Amino acid sequence: MSKRYIILAILLLGSALGLNYLPEQPNKDLLTPKKMLVKIYDQARYLTTDGVAKKLIEGDPGLFLIDVRSPEEYEEYALPGAINVPTDQLFTGENIDYLDQEGIDVVFYSNGDVFSEQVWMLAAEKGFDNLFILKGGLNEWFQTIMQPVPPPETASKVAAEQYMFRKGASIYFGGSPNLLASEIPVKKKEVVVRKKKKKEAEGGC
Amino acid sequence: MGPLTYFEIISPQWNYVIAVLIGIAFGYILEASGFSSSRKLAGVFYGYDFAVIRVFVTAVIVSIIGLLYMGYFGWIDYSVLFVHPTYLYASIIGGIIMGFGFIMGGFCPGTSLTAVAIGKLDGWVFTIGLFIGIFLFSLLFPYVQNLYFGGYLGHVKITDYYGISDGWFTFGFAVVAVVVFYISTLIRRRVKNVRY
Repeated sequence: MSKRYIILAILLLGSALGLNYLPEQPNKDLLTPKKMLVKIYDQARYLTTDGVAKKLIEGDPGLFLIDVRSPEEYEEYALPGAINVPTDQLFTGENIDYLDQEGIDVVFYSNGDVFSEQVWMLAAEKGFDNLFILKGGLNEWFQTIMQPVPPPETASKVAAEQYMFRKGASIYFGGSPNLLASEIPVKKKEVVVRKKKKKEAEGGC
Repeated sequence: MGPLTYFEIISPQWNYVIAVLIGIAFGYILEASGFSSSRKLAGVFYGYDFAVIRVFVTAVIVSIIGLLYMGYFGWIDYSVLFVHPTYLYASIIGGIIMGFGFIMGGFCPGTSLTAVAIGKLDGWVFTIGLFIGIFLFSLLFPYVQNLYFGGYLGHVKITDYYGISDGWFTFGFAVVAVVVFYISTLIRRRVKNVRY
């Protein structure tokens, strides 16, 4: 047996054995920048407030809301059924289980888009799927669902129907819709009829 | 980084050009190593020439180790590589048929074409038979369809199926490879005067 073959065999066995003793790579689970870019360009991660409101009203079990604001803000107001996971505790403890739900749409929301977008990126980079963002956040939620503004009378039928839905949703979620001019009940002016004071009996007779 | 074609680092058009070049190189090397002789392949079964096994085992083990290391260093995205789906019964029966074809014909599909290229008559016969076989199979396909799709296991790898770690499986395979190389070298020394 020539020396070359022995060296080659040792090289082969050594490199195969070495596979088992590679140190763990810290960023191994992260997506490649290229894949991440493709994900970021995909607009399908945005859910509209109307869509989320509809699912909430229908009691869709495939919807899971995560409030990424601070606990104080969460206490003050939160969407029904939402769970509070502040931004800095995203991957701690059992919070990571909330992200990894097969077949359930996980929706992040904050006051605007900025924090929910950050959380989405962190989670998407880790390879979690089915993650969404409530477009416009709670600000948009209040403007469209809680206090919807009626469309002008020249608006399309679609806009009118959307308004009708939002008005209903607003009542459902306990908001106060701005009503159409024709819907505002006209208060009748109360006419105070004062009784004529009885004239004091004047002297006479 | 890779796979180069999957992420379109190599465009689909160039992909075909490169495929043709690799094919030409592959055929040339097969012919240059003497694989276009049917005695070379049949020698594996009769026990006087193990070049084919040595070549295939070397190719497999080098590519496993290479892919795993490249995956580790992030040069190749291991997750998007295509894993051929497993149809258990079709694989077993097809393997047996192909093995008999190997022994009787002395060619595998690749080497039969290199034999055709250098004008060997048995290569011609084998290749014509190959196409007749393909034709008959497609005619009879409705009758063997259930067998063909039977025992479907999906895009599964041995390591996933049995839950072995990739590294230890590779090491085990490397040990087997070295043993195969050693035994085949011993046999090769005893066999003399083979006319190809």
